[in-house]
Amino acid sequence: MPVLESDAAAPLLSLYQPQLAEITLVRKLTAFENLFTLRLSSGRPLGHAPGQFVQVAVLGVGECPISICSSPTRPETFELCVRRVGEVTEHLHRLEEGAVIGIRGPLGHGFEVSELHGKDILIVAGGLGIAPVRSLIHYILDERERFGAFHLLYGARSPEELLFRDELPVWRDNPKVNFHVTVDRPDAQWRGRSGVVTTLFPQLPPLDAATTVVVIVGPPIMFKFVVLEVLSRGIPQKNVLCSLERRMKCGVGKCGHCQANNVYVCLEGPVFRYGQLKALREAIE
Amino acid sequence: MLDRILTGRRLGELIDDLGQSRRIVGPVRRGEHFFYEKVRRASELDLGFNFCVYSPKAFLFPPTETLFRFHQASGAFETEPVYDQRPLALVGVHPCDLNAIRLLDHAFANRHRDEHYLTRRRKTLIVAVDCPRPCTEGVFCHDMKGNEAATGFDLMCYPLGRAEGNGDETFGVVFGTDAGRELALYTQAGRPPTVEDERSYERYSADKQAAFPRMIPFDVDSLPQLLDRSYDSLLWEATARRCYSCGSCNLSCPTCYCFNTYDEPTLRLRDGERRREWDGCQLRGFAEVAGGHNFRAKAASRLRHRIYRKGKWIKEREGIAGCVGCARCDRACTARINSVEIYNQLAEER
Repeated sequence: MPVLESDAAAPLLSLYQPQLAEITLVRKLTAFENLFTLRLSSGRPLGHAPGQFVQVAVLGVGECPISICSSPTRPETFELCVRRVGEVTEHLHRLEEGAVIGIRGPLGHGFEVSELHGKDILIVAGGLGIAPVRSLIHYILDERERFGAFHLLYGARSPEELLFRDELPVWRDNPKVNFHVTVDRPDAQWRGRSGVVTTLFPQLPPLDAATTVVVIVGPPIMFKFVVLEVLSRGIPQKNVLCSLERRMKCGVGKCGHCQANNVYVCLEGPVFRYGQLKALREAIE
Repeated sequence: MLDRILTGRRLGELIDDLGQSRRIVGPVRRGEHFFYEKVRRASELDLGFNFCVYSPKAFLFPPTETLFRFHQASGAFETEPVYDQRPLALVGVHPCDLNAIRLLDHAFANRHRDEHYLTRRRKTLIVAVDCPRPCTEGVFCHDMKGNEAATGFDLMCYPLGRAEGNGDETFGVVFGTDAGRELALYTQAGRPPTVEDERSYERYSADKQAAFPRMIPFDVDSLPQLLDRSYDSLLWEATARRCYSCGSCNLSCPTCYCFNTYDEPTLRLRDGERRREWDGCQLRGFAEVAGGHNFRAKAASRLRHRIYRKGKWIKEREGIAGCVGCARCDRACTARINSVEIYNQLAEER
């Protein structure tokens, strides 16, 4: 049985054994989200593509999938934006600089940046969706001459839920980014736009359907409305990319939790073309 | 073509020989039922068993197992993977379960190699026993092409009949691997087959063909297309109305390999293990993420997922059928949900 054979001389490698990483910086982003800066104890860069994720382990507590929110163009460290929402993330939030956690990855299929080179890019992020696409945002900003026009739309529920608040003015003031932000529920201090993220579309100049790639990351409910907006502007489905969230345990296509119909989101995704997702009824239901 | 002839007594001796260097697991009678259990000698086994309540999967992919141990010291920690290297012989494995193991082998080796499973599997020798007739009512192994296995064993034993006089079974044996060949020949067990033995094997095969009824009115190869048309059928909702989401179907299925992982710290809290345990797609929280969103919140969508996975998606992804027709899910179901019934109803929707 050939599938069983392995190289007898090679040591057995466990898919599930994490490597060590040290937390070098913790920044509080909101009441629920912290930004962790990490460095692998091996000293090596994580070696990820934008859009990929890692399995984060707090030993003794467990493991959970977190998307990488920093760009591989800044390889000394990597960053994870973690919402305090489950058991593992609850414990992660109690950790301070110097603590060591387990990391498996990078995992999954991220953005194929070489295919994005030379293209106009429109990124639409909702809520925590800004975290995975921040890896791509930073990549584009660091390699800006490789891309055409760059539009970035970001929506959050309320001003206090906006992530990366220190970076938003930087993006807004950067002449090389067409950045717009909105909140669903503004408070008294909010001077910006309000409404769901699709209300930002009138702010966009006409998109060149032949050269624009659209990246959509956000809660399931957001996908449909944003996809409608971009398709109605003539963007072909193959140039619409989405990143999905699912429950994941193994991260390597075995444990079954992340399946959307017949697709393992942890293997084939989390980044998909809309054309692929259309056939997956469970993907954006 | 047969490779060897073994009497039941000689097969027992062969198994006892195996027991010198391996753990032996095979069918043991418990009241009216049979279970795969670890035994010390072949005489504890009953190779004439009808079916085992559970498949031998648990001995290759245990219900819970340690993936690695960890030890925390001065801020950092060490991890050490755990592999089960103990040699094992699985005895009395029927074709349905051989086909299921073939799928597990493929699934755990595909793309990313799961050496926890593969190590145990490499250390496993399989002595299969063929089924001359359906083991019980309700099985649909013939429909699923699960009642024949040409590979996936080290030795396959075809029960060709009982000898007059002492009533000892005569097994026509086929070698599936070099390990199987070496085992039979090295121990000089049995004798080479004669022309008469080959005739007897041909009669056995013909009788077997006639003995298995068809339970489903379409060819299994058309099942994926049939399911394609039924995604929005009300049948899922209607059937799932009585589903308790207890996961008994998953638990008893020889091809289910989904799992959960969890940490088990020791009381010292500085040491512990990452473990995995079987999980089931029919359980309510299977696709639920932190924060509470459940991607398969309804029993109907979970039932549909299971049937699609068994009938279509695994076959399409892995090239090996996801269901072997053993009907353990149907027998285990606490709500009498029946896959043969589902397939028949789907056929009517054509």
